Amino acid sequence: MTEPSSTTATVASPSAAPAANYGTESITVLEGLEAVRKRPGMYIGDVHDGSGLHHLVWEVVDNAVDEHLGGFCSLMNVTIHFDGSITVEDNGRGIPVGRHADMSKKLGHDIDTAEVVMTILHAGGKFDHSSYKVSAGLHGVGVSAVNAVSEQLKLEIRRDGHVHFQEYRRGAAVSKIEIIGDTDKKGTKITFKPDTEIFTITEFSYDILANRLRELSFLNAGFVITLTDERGEGRKEVFEYQGGVREFVELLNKAKEPVHDKVVYILAEQVPEAGGAPMVVELALQWNSSYAEQIFPYTNNIHNKDGGTHLTGFKGALTRVFNNYGASANLFKEVKNGLTGEDIREGLTAVISVKIPDPSFSSQTKDKLVTSEVKSVVENVVTDKLGQFFEENPSTARKIMEKAVLAAKAREAARKAREVVRKSAMDYTTLSGKLADCQSKDPAQCELYIVEGDSAGGSAKQGRDRKFQAILPLRGKILNVERARLDKMLGSAEIGTLITALGCGIGTPEQGGSFDINKLRYHQIVLMTDADVDGSHIRTLLLTFFYRQMPEIIERGYLYIAQPPLYRVWRGKKALYMKDQGALDRFFLEQGVDGLAVRASRGPTLSGEPLVRLAERLRTFRKALQRIDRRADAQIVAAVIRASGLGKNELRERKKVETAVPLIRARLEQLYPDIFPLGIDVGWETEHGAATITITPRTGSAARPVTIDWNLVESAEYEELYAIEQDVRSIGPAPYFAKVVKKGDADDETGTGATAKETELADADALWAFIDARGHKGWNLTRYKGLGEMNPEQLWETTLDPNARVMLQVRLDDAVQTDQIFSILMGDQVEPRREFIEQNALNVRNLDI
Amino acid sequence: MTSAQCPTCRKASATRKTNAAFPFCSARCKTVDLGKWLNEEYRVPAGATGESGEGDESGTSDGNVPTGSSDRELS
Repeated sequence: MTEPSSTTATVASPSAAPAANYGTESITVLEGLEAVRKRPGMYIGDVHDGSGLHHLVWEVVDNAVDEHLGGFCSLMNVTIHFDGSITVEDNGRGIPVGRHADMSKKLGHDIDTAEVVMTILHAGGKFDHSSYKVSAGLHGVGVSAVNAVSEQLKLEIRRDGHVHFQEYRRGAAVSKIEIIGDTDKKGTKITFKPDTEIFTITEFSYDILANRLRELSFLNAGFVITLTDERGEGRKEVFEYQGGVREFVELLNKAKEPVHDKVVYILAEQVPEAGGAPMVVELALQWNSSYAEQIFPYTNNIHNKDGGTHLTGFKGALTRVFNNYGASANLFKEVKNGLTGEDIREGLTAVISVKIPDPSFSSQTKDKLVTSEVKSVVENVVTDKLGQFFEENPSTARKIMEKAVLAAKAREAARKAREVVRKSAMDYTTLSGKLADCQSKDPAQCELYIVEGDSAGGSAKQGRDRKFQAILPLRGKILNVERARLDKMLGSAEIGTLITALGCGIGTPEQGGSFDINKLRYHQIVLMTDADVDGSHIRTLLLTFFYRQMPEIIERGYLYIAQPPLYRVWRGKKALYMKDQGALDRFFLEQGVDGLAVRASRGPTLSGEPLVRLAERLRTFRKALQRIDRRADAQIVAAVIRASGLGKNELRERKKVETAVPLIRARLEQLYPDIFPLGIDVGWETEHGAATITITPRTGSAARPVTIDWNLVESAEYEELYAIEQDVRSIGPAPYFAKVVKKGDADDETGTGATAKETELADADALWAFIDARGHKGWNLTRYKGLGEMNPEQLWETTLDPNARVMLQVRLDDAVQTDQIFSILMGDQVEPRREFIEQNALNVRNLDI
Repeated sequence: MTSAQCPTCRKASATRKTNAAFPFCSARCKTVDLGKWLNEEYRVPAGATGESGEGDESGTSDGNVPTGSSDRELS
């Protein structure tokens, strides 16, 4: 049963093919076994917390894995029996059997090689590389230690056509090893039951075993491992990963969102520069969208939790490959200093597995690999293969690079935020020069007005109530972008001042920021900007800043927008403020009808609120006329409506149209004789059965020809005019008579109301002109171009005084819209931006919230 | 308002209720945005040079009213 004697030569010659002869002579004896039972902690770890217990399994399992690494073993079955014993069975070569010459001589009696392995500490085939190129085991003690602390151990070896069997109790052989049968199979089967005299816990954990066995099968692609639990209800799992570490990474990223689909896989064998046995480097990488870095380095299947030279080599290569690729692909426009290792490894899940002969570790626990040649081998392999992968998969490379670039930007941003906060906090004199703080320190009482512009800020500082109102003037920074365009922004110093004034910090704590809503110094923050386009843009900028970076402030209802008036009207000592055009119009209109009574030639007399409504209709008529002028000459259209009352329905009635034409002609002749001679032609179209009335003014006159047809009459503008005309008609036919019945504001110098005579007004237009003029009479009007035009008293009266001011509270969904507007303003594309600005320039109030 | 588009990466952002980084999809994207503010990358148009960019005159009557220096009407 012993191997041929030629094996001796094999051991002596390292260049010869190893592993072929794993016989009795390759076992070297190092030390005795007795100490293990006395001091088990030294050899197999803690006997109280379960770690030593499971270590026993690893010792046995590792022998099978080593057989696999050598290429001799493809299967391993691990079974947990109901009595707490464990069986590990493989289909490797089987532990050598036959007389062990050295040990027999030393002991003075014959001893079998298998028994040496099982009973002598540090005996085994792994101390010279001829049997194993690489070894996972080398826990330092070997299976003999397992034997030493087992109540019972059964060894079954299939080798050389026979089944060999031997049994041990607490490390001592019960009998000699003997052949109990014949077989054509190979392999080793060890069953052991941990000794309860030594272990306080003897319950094996299925999960611990399953996790490590799964890991082993990942690390050894194609190695099929079965775990069977015969306890309780029983359980069985087969770990078989043909994809190896690739599948390992996929599993680790399973619950995450991968940045790229395909796992990057690298497998290479390389001889170190200094020579020696080749090292196998296997890597799988995949980035996910999280920020966590998960790298698992292994040496000969052992996890090195503190990394080591393989990890260092990997990191170095990664940084080099990324920076080279990013620079050559021009991806670093926004990151000036390139990427750091942390930027690159953010969200990286990787498994690095090296298989090398003779690894050195920094400690017995193998937490860190220190074999120095590994670094450059891994570095070369990764630089080469990852570089190649990037070249071949540009879209994947781009996704991975973009993530790293984003990480770099965030890192840079977080650093900058800290710097700005620190700087502005230290530089308190700058703040006190800008911020006029209030006396109260109770945030619930305190108000902060953020005022654009220094002059307005100055007025506000003088006009405020310093007990609870603080003023922070902010100046937008003007930037000349192109020859014809200026941009405005908030300088970083201004933002720093704002943050310091608010007192609540900035930046999300997860990213090293300091924002804390509880430190906010004011619970009313009021944005006060000019009521023009510029002001609304600055307001949009500030709102967007709050919304994006401090949404809590909006959420809690702390953010407001001041509503400074747009107009001031005054007469003598009396002054009034109007917030916008609508309020101003209403004011003049009310002034115009105040104390006035109006009647038609037949019909009721109107005054008070009904008259206000009539006047509003007349004003609306004027505005609708302006709009319809784009479609047709407004004055002619007005005359048509007033004279004929033609609407949608009338236009389809031949009789009504025929009656209307002479009325129109007469009206136009009366109002605009200069457009005569005038042609009025009537045609009929079939689609709507409506008339088409074409009015052609004298050639050379200022008026345009007008076509009154279905299209015009059913337009929204015409329908509005028509409806108003019906309303006006309801008060009776022109002319109208206006009479001052009560002295109004407008009538100060016109004598007494009682004797005032009636004014005759030819038509509705004249009536409107009369009311409008009466309303404006004597009033002066100022439109505030900016807040700076208000003096401190005016600012207090209109905008600061809590009893008089109007403020709009910003809500989160208002802010969403603002952000959208902002995004358009920010847009890189010039066209949509220009279009947007042009459309909204006339419509300032639309930008308001 | 239920969800939003992340202003930084344009991916969908979870609602405010479940997402502290709202309106961003992540704290990362929020931080990148902060960097842009501090780098003065956000700008709004401040009108054209020499032109205020404001609304034009829209001529309704009102002619007889003595007004202040800047009584433009916004249409």
